[in-house]
Amino acid sequence: MMPWAASNASPVLQGVDLMRTYGDGAARRNALQKVSVDLYPGQLVLLMGPSGSGKSTLLAVLSGLLEPDSGQVLAAEDDGRLRDVWQMTGREREAYRRRHTGFVFQGYNLFPALTARQQLELVLKWGENASGGEARRRADEVLDKLGLSANKTKKPAQLSGGEKQRVAIGRALVKNPTLVFADEPTSALDWENGQKVIELLRDAAHQRGAAVLCVSHDARLLPFVDVFYHLDDGRLERRALPGGAA
Amino acid sequence: MSIALQTLWHERTRYASGVLAVTFSAVLIALQCGLLLGLFKITSIPIDNTSADVWIGSNKVESVDLGRPIPASYLSRVAGREGITTVESYVAAFASFAKPAGGTEMCFLLGSSLDAGASGAAKVLSPEQLDLLTMPDAIIVDESDVKRLGVTDEKKAKINGKEVLVVGTVKGLRSLAAPWVFCSVHTARHLLGFMLPPDHITYLLAKCDAPARARELASELKAEYPDDMAVYTAEQFSTGSRVYWLFRTKAGIAIGYAALLGLLVGAVITAQTLYSATAANAKEFAILLALGIPRWRISAMVLTQSFWVGVIGIALAYPVCLGLKYGARQVGADVDLRWEVLLGTAVVTVGMALAAGFFALRSVRQIEPMNLLR
Repeated sequence: MMPWAASNASPVLQGVDLMRTYGDGAARRNALQKVSVDLYPGQLVLLMGPSGSGKSTLLAVLSGLLEPDSGQVLAAEDDGRLRDVWQMTGREREAYRRRHTGFVFQGYNLFPALTARQQLELVLKWGENASGGEARRRADEVLDKLGLSANKTKKPAQLSGGEKQRVAIGRALVKNPTLVFADEPTSALDWENGQKVIELLRDAAHQRGAAVLCVSHDARLLPFVDVFYHLDDGRLERRALPGGAA
Repeated sequence: MSIALQTLWHERTRYASGVLAVTFSAVLIALQCGLLLGLFKITSIPIDNTSADVWIGSNKVESVDLGRPIPASYLSRVAGREGITTVESYVAAFASFAKPAGGTEMCFLLGSSLDAGASGAAKVLSPEQLDLLTMPDAIIVDESDVKRLGVTDEKKAKINGKEVLVVGTVKGLRSLAAPWVFCSVHTARHLLGFMLPPDHITYLLAKCDAPARARELASELKAEYPDDMAVYTAEQFSTGSRVYWLFRTKAGIAIGYAALLGLLVGAVITAQTLYSATAANAKEFAILLALGIPRWRISAMVLTQSFWVGVIGIALAYPVCLGLKYGARQVGADVDLRWEVLLGTAVVTVGMALAAGFFALRSVRQIEPMNLLR
């Protein structure tokens, strides 16, 4: 079930005692209260919780987009050493995200002018200075695996919602990241397409060895994930999966 | 095709207002400059319509209509030099033209040699007209000035109180302040009377065996006689005359303001177009930032887009300029769209589009990947 996780015991990302508040005075709200979490390669982790529970905040803090008030986000560097993402300079953090992270959001956010293939090529050309040929080869490879072979030259307006989200997943995966963050990736899709999307995210974990953190409201995703966390009022709790898988 | 160009094409309706703003600016600037240059071409007509290679006049003379009398003996300084084929006298001076029906008008006398192949005779004068001008006090004017000078069927008038006969008209030598009056050196001398001292002329016109020699010769003569005469190639004197009047009349400032206004309007619209177009793609750009793509990549794309908006705007402006030039010619106005004007317009307006691009970068700075999660 989890070939990658079984052979890799050390986490690629650790959140340690993360605190984050919003607002001041009476309006002060604790989005994260001493949250600790480990993300392992090859695992698809589902994070659920009610609206406003701090799910997106946790995803943003762990992915290096939002600075916590306190706590650490320890990321495994290429040499295996752990380094606090929030102790890095802005440029280092940007380079870290470039090397290690992929994102999938609820909105597909694809450039209307670009074809599916170009959406992926852009990430490689601008992020890794990949040559045109290399970018095309790698983009095609990912699109083929995502079942988008026939849609490579189509622009977003010519794609269905499910296809667009698959292109967005391709954009997140094309640089082969160690971490994939997905924020409500299925909420704009019907269940058939939502199922395909969660399967692709699971493949990213199980076949590519990425650590995938998926934030969602949708309990139907539970059978597909390896680890399930519940966040409520800023407090994180690991819960057993239905059927006792974890 | 680059992503910048591809986006421009895909969202062409959005970018159209920016492109049209550049076109508007470019047309305004090119036409203003062209009209002014066309207008001030008139000031150098005596030079541009003769075939002399070198003009020698009074010391520090800045424009062809400002020449003071110089001794005719200066001819010996020029004639016989290596490379000089002919040197001839030329008289150019303002005079008072009395209309037959009453009233006066300033005119500008241009007295030249009328010999076959003379370099001072206006190129538009036919051999028959040159012949007619050999008659004492015979003059020729441009047909556009006939009405202004009040010349009647009798063809008679008075210049500086002396009777003259209008023996013909020419076409295309329009005047600005004072109508041009073509005549022989002898007639000019007679009409000017005491205003031109004996044995004096206004200019010496030289022809060279090779036009390329003119610049060299002008430098030599200038170095040899730096204090009492001015020496120019025909091209230098022509440009100098136009530039002098351009600044003297402060028309350059007027055109500068008009062009600046055009630029400002263009810049504001282009900047706004680029700003809103970039803001419209903010979410897509935010994803790239989240993925660790450096912000400068996005800025570079916006600037590339602004460059292309400028280039496309210019490409649309040129045919419009040429059409308007043709239209202006139909109503008798000369729009001089020389390559310097077209190139200068392109540089200024593409520069403006780039500046607008820099302004639009504000929207790039406001993009935050965190916004995608809220």
